[in-house]
This record gives sequence, structure tokens and C-alpha cells, in this order.
Amino acid sequence: MIWSYIPANAALIRQLTIENAVLGIVPAVLGLIIAVPVGIACVRWGWLYPPVLSSTSVLYALPSLALFIVLIPYTGLTDTTVIIPLTLFSLCVLVPNVVDGLRSVPEPVRQAATAMGFGALRRLVQVELPLAIPVIIAGLRVATVSSISLASVGQLIGVSSLGYLFIDGLQRDFPTELYVGFVMVIILALAADLVLVLARRLLTPWQRRDARAELRVSVRPGTLGEGVVR
Amino acid sequence: MVFVGPSGCGKTTSLRMINRMVDPTEGRILLDDRDIRQADPAKLRRGIGYVIQHAGLFPHRTIEDNIATVPLLIGWGRQKARQRAHELMDLVSLDPAMARRYPHQLSGGQQQRVGVARALAADPPVLLMDEPFSAVDAIVRASLQDELLHIQEHLHKTIVLVTHDLEEAIKVGDRVALFRPGGTLAQVDVPDRLLAAPSDDYVAGFLGFDRGIRRLSFFPASALNLETDTVVPDRTTVAEARRVAKDSGQPWLLVTDTERLPRGWISTAVLEELPAAATLSQAPLSGYGHTFRVASDSLRAALDATVLSATSRAVGVADDGRVVGVTSYDRLRTAIHAAVASAPQETTAQETTAQGTTAQGTTARESTAQDGMSAS
Repeated sequence: MIWSYIPANAALIRQLTIENAVLGIVPAVLGLIIAVPVGIACVRWGWLYPPVLSSTSVLYALPSLALFIVLIPYTGLTDTTVIIPLTLFSLCVLVPNVVDGLRSVPEPVRQAATAMGFGALRRLVQVELPLAIPVIIAGLRVATVSSISLASVGQLIGVSSLGYLFIDGLQRDFPTELYVGFVMVIILALAADLVLVLARRLLTPWQRRDARAELRVSVRPGTLGEGVVR
Repeated sequence: MVFVGPSGCGKTTSLRMINRMVDPTEGRILLDDRDIRQADPAKLRRGIGYVIQHAGLFPHRTIEDNIATVPLLIGWGRQKARQRAHELMDLVSLDPAMARRYPHQLSGGQQQRVGVARALAADPPVLLMDEPFSAVDAIVRASLQDELLHIQEHLHKTIVLVTHDLEEAIKVGDRVALFRPGGTLAQVDVPDRLLAAPSDDYVAGFLGFDRGIRRLSFFPASALNLETDTVVPDRTTVAEARRVAKDSGQPWLLVTDTERLPRGWISTAVLEELPAAATLSQAPLSGYGHTFRVASDSLRAALDATVLSATSRAVGVADDGRVVGVTSYDRLRTAIHAAVASAPQETTAQETTAQGTTAQGTTARESTAQDGMSAS
């Protein structure tokens, strides 16, 4: 480990991290934009769900590199070539989570909404989607983290990301570069995950108090509480 | 109007036809003389309050926003809707501090109150309640039922309530529609008549073996001719008390304090053993047990208190707790006999329609379809 490498290449590391972040986050966001209407359709028309689920699973099974290569003739060696496959991969997690989230809305709540005169659209927007947020965000966390880590593979077709550090480090037999790339991917993934956790807490205030109450219960004398006092 | 019957008899289905959650295959349902099928379902429902078993509150909305749901839907504006929510919280006896809480932070009974408040928020003329109190324990249920009756006294809504609990049907219903399995009506009647004159064996069976006792709930305890000569204040001397007991010929005297609140029973046998000059304030007394309120309770409550009493007599009190008088089995028998004799006894023909049903002073009216109302 040669520590001096880091300050000497700070600008490069920063730029690669930002590029990697974009390649990771954009597919997750696009995936969400696609998954929400698809998920809603799957809940509305139940027969749609099994074929959709199989398709997203099959897509997920395709190797990312193979998809990049297939896309090069159409989109060239650009970010788009990386973003499209990663978006498709994210659907494999996001669609089931949107569906499960919507299905987790308790039947009495749904019926109460109907009985009080909510139309189907209003019920979806004001009742069902807000209640599905925790499950949807749980899916978004997985999708984002996996996109961030998969984005580095794009380096193989020349799309810049933290993957550069892996390839360059390997070619130059320079482990420090590998370690830096490795750590930066992890930090990036953790940071994105943290942002999503915070977003969920902000978007679901009705659950926040719950979490606090649970925390209070778990801190009993003789366990954590006493440890802190000492 | 209460729909009661065994599970699967179509009572909930019938209820849901009224707000078009289920469309009838045949027959018409009229609301204010208009066929509900001509109304837009969403708009129709905003004018019909709906309360369900587990309240069905929106977990992601605060209590005040839950209650304000329909006012917001019909465009009252946030300010006015919230204000209305606070009024309703008061009406259903909810602590205003709960306004900003979320449903899961409330007990089942409190959630159910919110459910009722939410249904009443836009002041709909019609209220549908589907097993509203069956998910809470018996004590909370009784208090919610009392409160419903109390609210109804002020609001005069047309309420259609579904329950499988006959006791509840009889307690809260102005009229009770008893369903048969398969979705046909067995009998529609006021509760007293239902208990007195079941139209057939099915109805009688559903009402249970103690329908005679239940029926006593419809006769006021004020019909009792209460015994007052056996009630003595505790400053009375034993000698005096012996004379009172002798004059009345009764084995027990009820001792009260100077405020005329009950203290306990004393038997003639105990009186004989006490020094004649002593007052009753120090005498050993047996507990007076359950009392009944003369002005508001029924003969059933009076009978119940008597059965529970070790002395086979029960204390009737005024609303402030002061003793009005004492009843015994003899006096109960006389009162029950007179009440039953004066009540209508004839068996009514089985009703096939339930028209102009429900609570007094209402504007809305629903008419269910023919006897063979579809339950599917």
C-alpha cells in the first residue's frame, strides 16, 4: 500500500467516483420510473405479473458484459451502453418490490378508501403508493448498490468509472490502485444506501416514531443502556 | 336498522350494495327516492359514512387527517377540514392530544372511535357500519355502543349496522333485520317484538334460549314499585330498626348514610344480637352489591342485580347514587307480569320489505329488494 498514491491522484479518484456514481444511480432511478407503472399494471391485472417476473429474471441472468457488447453497434462506447443494461437489471428487484409494496396495503384500508369515495387513481396516489414506499425503497437500495458495483464493469468497454482503477492496477501490477478502487466503490455504495434510508425516514413519518419506540424498548437496563452509563 | 345473522348470510353484501361496493343483480335501492345506480359511485360514497371492523384507518395519515379525509375529498380546504376533525374528536370523546398521532399509536377502541369520527366528518345523512365493534373487547364494545346511541340521539342519522351479535343488534337497533343463511330475510321488526314474537323456529333459535330475559331490557326499571319502608339511615338505633323490620315483615333492612347513599344490608337476626341502644352506624353490614338505576336501567338490570345479591334483593338508586328503594323477587314478578301483559304479543306476518326503516327523523330511506335478495 503506497499511501502517497492517494493525494497524488485525488483529482482522478474524485472524477472516477463521480462517474461511477452517475452510472450507478441513473439506472436505479430509471428503473424506478419504469418499475412503478409496470408494477401497478401487474397488480391491476394479475395475469401480467408471472410473465413480467420471468422476463426480468431472464434479463438479470444475462452477463452484463455481453449486453454491453450487444448494444455497442447501436449506442457506441457511451454511458448509455452501460446505463441500459443496468436499468434492465434493476427491474428484476424493483418490479417485484413495487408489486409486493402495493399488495402489502391492508385490505380494510383499501376498502375504506373506496368506501369513502376515492376513485381508483386517487386511491393509488394518496393511499396505496405512500403505503408501499418502505417496500419500494428497500428494493431501490438493492438496485442502487448493485448498479454502483456493476458500473465498474463498463470500464471494459471503455466507459469511465472506478473500474479504471481495477484494470489499471492489474495491468501495472500496482495493488494500491486496486485497493483504492475497491474502497471507493464500497464507500459510494454505503453513501447511496444511507441517502435512501434517510429518504425513507423522511417520506414515511408514520413509521419513524415506530422505529424510535422500538429502540426505546430495546434499550433495557442491564443491556445497552447500562453499558453506556459505565 | 341492524342487519344480523350467521356468517355468510349476506348481511355485509347487502350493506355494501347501499354504497355500491357491490351492485345488486336485481331489485332497486332507493336513497332519498333516487335509485343509487344512477349516481356516480365515488360521489355517492362521499355522502355515505362507512365504518368497518378494524377501522381501516390510513396508517400513513395522522388522526386529524384521517378524520378529515372526506371533507378534503369534497374540497373543504385544509383549515376547515382540520377544524371539523377536531370537533368530531370531541364528539367521539377522543383526547385532542391524539390529533397529530398516527393510527398505530392508538388502542383498538380509540382507532374505532376515529373510524366513527371519520365516517361522520362530512355529515353524511347515511352511515353504514360493518361489524364496527367486533374487534374490540367486551368492555370497550359496550362503551362504544353506548356512545353510538348517544351520538345518534343528537345526529339522527340513518344508520345501517351489520353485526353477528344479536345482543348488539337488540341494544343499538331501532329495527332489526334477521337474515337466514342463503341471504333471505327471516324477520324485520323492532327488537322488542322480535324477542316477543319470533316468526318461526329459525328466528326463535337464533334469538337463543334466554330471549325472555333479554326482552326485559325493553321494560324500564321505573315500572317497579320499590320498597322504601325497609330503608333506614345509619343514625337509627337498633331498637328502632327492630320495630321497622317488624312492621315491614321483611328479613333485611337497607342501611344508608346521612346522604342516603347505600351502606349495606342488616338482617333481623343480627339486629336481635345487638344492644338496643346502639345506632346502626357501627353495626356489621353485608355488602349491598350491584345497584341499578331506577330512571335509566331496565327490568333486566334490576333482575340481574337481584339474582346477584346474597339477600335476594337489590338497591335501586337515582342517577346521583342515592337510594330510591329496594326491590325483591316479589316486586320484580309483579312488574314483569304487568309489563309483559301490556306489551303487544301478536305474531306479525313475516315482512318481506324493509322500507322507511331506521332511525326517527331521517331524510334518507333505503329499501332493500325482495325477500330473495341475492347474497352473491
